[in-house]
Amino acid sequence: MLNLLGEQLLNGIVTGSVYAIVAVGMTMTFGVLRVINFAHGEYFMVGTFASWFVIEKFDLGYPQSVVFAVALTALLAIVVGYFLMRKMVGAPFENGVLATLGVSLILQNLAVALFGGSYKFFNGGYIEPVELFGYGLAQQRILIVIVCVLVFIGLDLMVTYSRMGKSMRAVSQNIECCEIVGIDVQSVVLWTFVIGASLAGLSGVLTAPVNVSVYGGMGELITFKTLPIIIMGGLGNVRGTLIAAMILGIAESFVAGFIGLQFRDSVGFVTLILMLMWRPHGLFSLQSRF
Amino acid sequence: MSQLQETQQTWRSGLRLPAIILMAGLVLFAPAFVGSYSLHAVVIAMIFLLPALGLNLLVGYTGLLSLAQGAFFGVGAYASALLSIHFNTPFYVNVVSAGLISGALALPLGIPALRLRATSFVMCTLGFIVIGQAISKNWISLTRGDMGLSSVPKPYFALGPWSFSVVSTAAYYYLALAVAGLAILAFYLIVRSPAGRNMIAIRENETLAEAVGIPTWTYKLIVFVLSAIFAGVGGSLYVHYLTVVSPLTFQMYYTTTILIIVLGGGVGTISGVVFGSILFVALSEFLRVAPEIRMIAYGICLLLIVFKFPKGFAPVIDKVWSALGGQRA
Amino acid sequence: MTLSGMFKGFPLKAAALCALALTGGFLSQAQAQDGDIRLGIVSPNTGSNARYGSFALRGAQLAVEEINSAGGINGKKIKIFSGDSQCTPVEGVSATQRLIQEDKVGFIIGDICSSVTLAMQPIVENAKVLLVNAASSNPAITYKAGVGGFKWTYRNYPTDEVRSLVVLDYATKQKNFTKFAVLSVDSDYGRGAINFTKKYLERFKSEIISEDYYKDGEVDFRSVLAKIKNSGAQAIIMYGLADTTPIIARQMVETGLAGKIPLIGNGEFNAPATIKAAPTALNGAIEAAAWLPGWDTPRSKEFVKKFETAYKGETPNNHAYSHWETVHLIAATMKAANSTDGEKVRDAMAKIKFDSAVGPITFDDHNQALVPMILLEIEGGAPSIKGAFVGSIDYPKN
Repeated sequence: MLNLLGEQLLNGIVTGSVYAIVAVGMTMTFGVLRVINFAHGEYFMVGTFASWFVIEKFDLGYPQSVVFAVALTALLAIVVGYFLMRKMVGAPFENGVLATLGVSLILQNLAVALFGGSYKFFNGGYIEPVELFGYGLAQQRILIVIVCVLVFIGLDLMVTYSRMGKSMRAVSQNIECCEIVGIDVQSVVLWTFVIGASLAGLSGVLTAPVNVSVYGGMGELITFKTLPIIIMGGLGNVRGTLIAAMILGIAESFVAGFIGLQFRDSVGFVTLILMLMWRPHGLFSLQSRF
Repeated sequence: MSQLQETQQTWRSGLRLPAIILMAGLVLFAPAFVGSYSLHAVVIAMIFLLPALGLNLLVGYTGLLSLAQGAFFGVGAYASALLSIHFNTPFYVNVVSAGLISGALALPLGIPALRLRATSFVMCTLGFIVIGQAISKNWISLTRGDMGLSSVPKPYFALGPWSFSVVSTAAYYYLALAVAGLAILAFYLIVRSPAGRNMIAIRENETLAEAVGIPTWTYKLIVFVLSAIFAGVGGSLYVHYLTVVSPLTFQMYYTTTILIIVLGGGVGTISGVVFGSILFVALSEFLRVAPEIRMIAYGICLLLIVFKFPKGFAPVIDKVWSALGGQRA
Repeated sequence: MTLSGMFKGFPLKAAALCALALTGGFLSQAQAQDGDIRLGIVSPNTGSNARYGSFALRGAQLAVEEINSAGGINGKKIKIFSGDSQCTPVEGVSATQRLIQEDKVGFIIGDICSSVTLAMQPIVENAKVLLVNAASSNPAITYKAGVGGFKWTYRNYPTDEVRSLVVLDYATKQKNFTKFAVLSVDSDYGRGAINFTKKYLERFKSEIISEDYYKDGEVDFRSVLAKIKNSGAQAIIMYGLADTTPIIARQMVETGLAGKIPLIGNGEFNAPATIKAAPTALNGAIEAAAWLPGWDTPRSKEFVKKFETAYKGETPNNHAYSHWETVHLIAATMKAANSTDGEKVRDAMAKIKFDSAVGPITFDDHNQALVPMILLEIEGGAPSIKGAFVGSIDYPKN
């Protein structure tokens, strides 16, 4: 029994790491833009597709494909960010919802149109199992956890110390004041969005070897997994997001392991609703900002 | 110059009444000159109009965006299907019960949810759909789980010794038209009532509304329940038309369609939502001519709308309307 | 040209592109001539379920090309009209209405998702258009067809009743398994097959000790596999999705289940790509399939070869096969009826004996095809066929 508990805890941490990398990008974008990005998961899908494509067609190695996938996602995010997201500053929230739903439809079905609708399996990555604390685990999963830790250390340093990070925090607190003191709000929004989308792409290509299947609709699922996380973590809160992602990952593993896999998808929202009953402003802030 | 405008105004001012008559004529006699495929598309538009009106009430008059319309729509569909399968009840019983059951369910859900602010509220309502789907999948004794309920009877009316059922698409068109018409009337009465004015006050400035003694929270709760009733009625209309309900009814497709209709059509107005529901169903059907890029084109159209008509189509309709009334557009 | 300069033209260009594509679509749909046999295919072609619809459409297209190049049916060519359902009843019914009213199809094959097929049944019944289903396994579809009610619905696809029985029979008798864990897809297919399995559990003196269902698109099975590992189950009953099987198989390798607890059921265990993804996990897997690419008959091999040549080396799956075969079935029925009239074809289908790649197909009084089910076991990295079974269906009395 204790053995099983430990194994589920480990599974939860691995799952939580994937959620965390995707969710942190979404929460940062929300922080500066106040837009729920329904297309965020599509960048996860784009990253996976890009990597799958260069491995299948150009026989590239997995590490090179990671670089390519992240670069391509970033490029796409620059285009979308420049033409769309940047212009959402100060726009009514319904515009953000419609525009991101539109982007989601376009990207998802573009993938279907470009690569056809049949099954695609991802070949690459480090899928050999190793023993960790007596539990079998693919090497790739250890890599995911390590990358997750590095990403969060990096983001935390950036948000705290760099000029970019400081402007991000400023924009998320008061857009008008930023404009007065001369911060280029649109450019902060653009780059925050690009970082967030690239992280989603990175997460996509990191998980591809263990998730195996590659298809146009894969991003939608991850979008809906991350939504409760960003609320629980406190919108725009980087550290809170990591903790919330871990809580959700572990809770899901326990539900799947002890109650039933069919209830897994409800875990996120049930946890969220329970938490909101207890603390309506999120776990990590004293007053609600959004 | 000014004289020219003067004549134009008098020329145009008589156009409102003919426009209304023309529209009414089109709507009433549509089955006579429109094929059943187009008629079907209009029925779908009218089905989606109901939850959209509910959402419009919520977004337009309290400023709260709810994604739970899809969930209440599904609840209404299940309620109506179960009633007519197990008790063979007539349509008016089903549709009223579906609305009331959805509304009754919205009450306990709304009480905690409405303590939340904007984005948290949105996510909480999204949670209702996910949980609704889990329940419909796992409460097998009631919902038959994933097997779904199929062959839901076509609606029938029983008045004393007489009874008749609605079978053809044309007949269903009139049924949907009647329900949609009543819903629009209900919406209009709610908005124009003294309560409606209080709701507008809440939308414009919640803090101020509270300060002058409007019980804002109670109003929000009432509006949330009303929006669920609209959605439930829509679900009932849906299930008798398609004859099938399964946990797939809780998929995001329904919620996003409702969202697009309300936000794209124009928040807070009746004409915007009516126009939005017809436009978006028509668009999605029209794009079937290009199956490969259909949903891509649909997405592009959404983006165009956001940038070309940031307030939806309501302002455009207003312009046309005032032009017809003789004012300068 | 500056970036913002480019942006000014963006909506216009997008609109122009939109319009261009639309006219293109119009033209391509308008090519059918008056004498053609119009065949509608309703399948999910966009959205997250597009990966299932694509195989179906390709299989049907291949069959139509074959029939047309062989001279058509009584000199008439078949023309396909595709309707996108997105696996949503609303969209599926809209597509069906459009196919019937605008494209004037007389015959429809569809859909993959059972809820859509169920919603299509009353529509085709009213319009007197023949619906031949080739991929939905919900038993309700043919419970309500033929003598059950809907005269215009046929199904050329096995229900899961025979499948579940055959698998359970083999697993208990040949392998002496009695304790099973369930890990199936959370859909009418996965749940339905398990319901049938439960119906026969007692007969084989076996039990289900844990029951889990995964959502379409689920990627994380480690938790549930860990539970199964500690539960004492001898085999995992899985009625799953083809592209999820490799994910589960790989995670079975990770968690150390591979080679200890086999998968039994259905989920394209036999596909070469699946076996390649995790050979150790799939060794010993038992599957009941309606068809498999490795099926050793000339007709089946020819189909696989043609499909691979037509679609850049892609291996067909069973949806591709069942749609391909169903188009041929409809064509053969037309020839037998010596007519392309809907009603005559419908009546002829009830009496047809069609030689498919897996064996003869006949229909029972519920318009349900009695299709042989192939039982196979994965041995040494390749499917080894253990036999083909035809079972009749035990219709509920009501």
